[in-house]
Amino acid sequence: MQFLVSLGRFGVYGARVLWRMVTPPFELREIARHTVLITVRCVVPVVAVVFPLGMVLALQGASILKMFGAPQLLPSLIAVAVFREVSPVLATALVTAQGGSAFAAELGAMRIQEEIDATQVMGIDPLRVHVAPRVWATLFATPFLGLLGTLAGFGGAWFSASVVRDLPGGIYWANLWSLTGPRDLWGSLVKTVIFGLLVGLIATWRGFYAEGGEEGVGRAVNDTTVIAITAFVVLNYFLTSALFGGVG
Amino acid sequence: MIASLGRFGLFVGTFARASLTHRPPVARTLEEAYRIGVRSLPILLVISAFVGTNLAFQGFYGFRSIGGQAFLGMFVALSGVREMVPIMVAAMVAAKAGTEMASQIAVMRSREQIEALEVMAVDPYWYLITPRFLGILLVLPPLTILSIATMLLAGWAVVVAQLHQNGQAFLGLAFGSLYTVDFLFATIKGACFAVIICLVSCFQGFTSERGPAGVGQATNKAVVYSAMVCAILNYFLSQALYG
Repeated sequence: MQFLVSLGRFGVYGARVLWRMVTPPFELREIARHTVLITVRCVVPVVAVVFPLGMVLALQGASILKMFGAPQLLPSLIAVAVFREVSPVLATALVTAQGGSAFAAELGAMRIQEEIDATQVMGIDPLRVHVAPRVWATLFATPFLGLLGTLAGFGGAWFSASVVRDLPGGIYWANLWSLTGPRDLWGSLVKTVIFGLLVGLIATWRGFYAEGGEEGVGRAVNDTTVIAITAFVVLNYFLTSALFGGVG
Repeated sequence: MIASLGRFGLFVGTFARASLTHRPPVARTLEEAYRIGVRSLPILLVISAFVGTNLAFQGFYGFRSIGGQAFLGMFVALSGVREMVPIMVAAMVAAKAGTEMASQIAVMRSREQIEALEVMAVDPYWYLITPRFLGILLVLPPLTILSIATMLLAGWAVVVAQLHQNGQAFLGLAFGSLYTVDFLFATIKGACFAVIICLVSCFQGFTSERGPAGVGQATNKAVVYSAMVCAILNYFLSQALYG
């Protein structure tokens, strides 16, 4: 019951924010500022997480594929896995952990210090000036970071397969694209755009309605990471089913 | 960065000395274990279930090209148990229990409750961090095992219902390709990640700045740093355990 009530509140909030996102006036400066800020903040975490995971995929994949005697399949399998699943999910997880929780913390602190109420008193719509630009920012930043993560994952897998192991680099790069196509690129972009929108809405929602002093800010950040990660991992299953027909 | 690394080292040193020289806080450890374990369980199971479904998709698509659909069970079991489940469990525990630790301790720092503990001659490291450390260490291995079971179950459901493959063969191959050491290694990984998450999150909470913005920042840093360190450590663990 509690869950349904929250879901309804989130729906109403989401609709109000979406309406302000697509109707003028747009806060272009704010959108640009938040997009640059969140992208810069997330670049290092995304690369630092996806690169080692690419290395691990190559490490484990090599030992599985050796049983089939098909080591040249390694790069194409990794390409599919990184492109479709690993990079979108992990990049979004880090956008949530770094950017989303920062937004929740900022908005939460503004709410606790009554800055949001002050904005409202001045006749300025807080959803339009504080929330909508932040949601745009996650929406723009997530696909970019997802692609960056994909490249980092390929790089990590190459490093592990060619430098640490002994698969020739030529074989790696030649086979990388044999199972992937434009569809993977579009699918990956669609996924990350939807994830970015979802993360932005959830993070700002928890921050915007934070209450109860400093603990409230902490709780808003905590809720953001937990709710957003759960929501997009569940959504990921349905998106994979829809975009790639489950299997491609 | 070097400076904060050094501070972190000192923090861990002080924590280790405080935990070793005091009586272990059994009751508070159990309380924390309950809080971390039971409250994280539903979310962990949801995440693991969807890791299983998507691994099944991945394996099916990848192996179809060499006519190896039959090996789906092995792919899901090995990649899930060895990599995806431990790392996703770590990510979720960092997101839920880690941020909770950081924000609770940061609020205490902000309200000078940590100083109050010191004034009462209670070692704050022992009182606040030792129970969380032992608690998370106690619950993560069983959480990992439960997540593995959920992951395999969800993978099986997708294989049977959505991909129309032989479920019996899937399960047979999945369990045939797993050894007991795989479960042991998965729990070792889980325990290492638990140590990292707990220490990093508590450190961020302990050294946070005062005020609501400081609490938010500490919580934010806790989850990002633990995720980064866990992902990098994961490579070396995999290299050492399976390489």
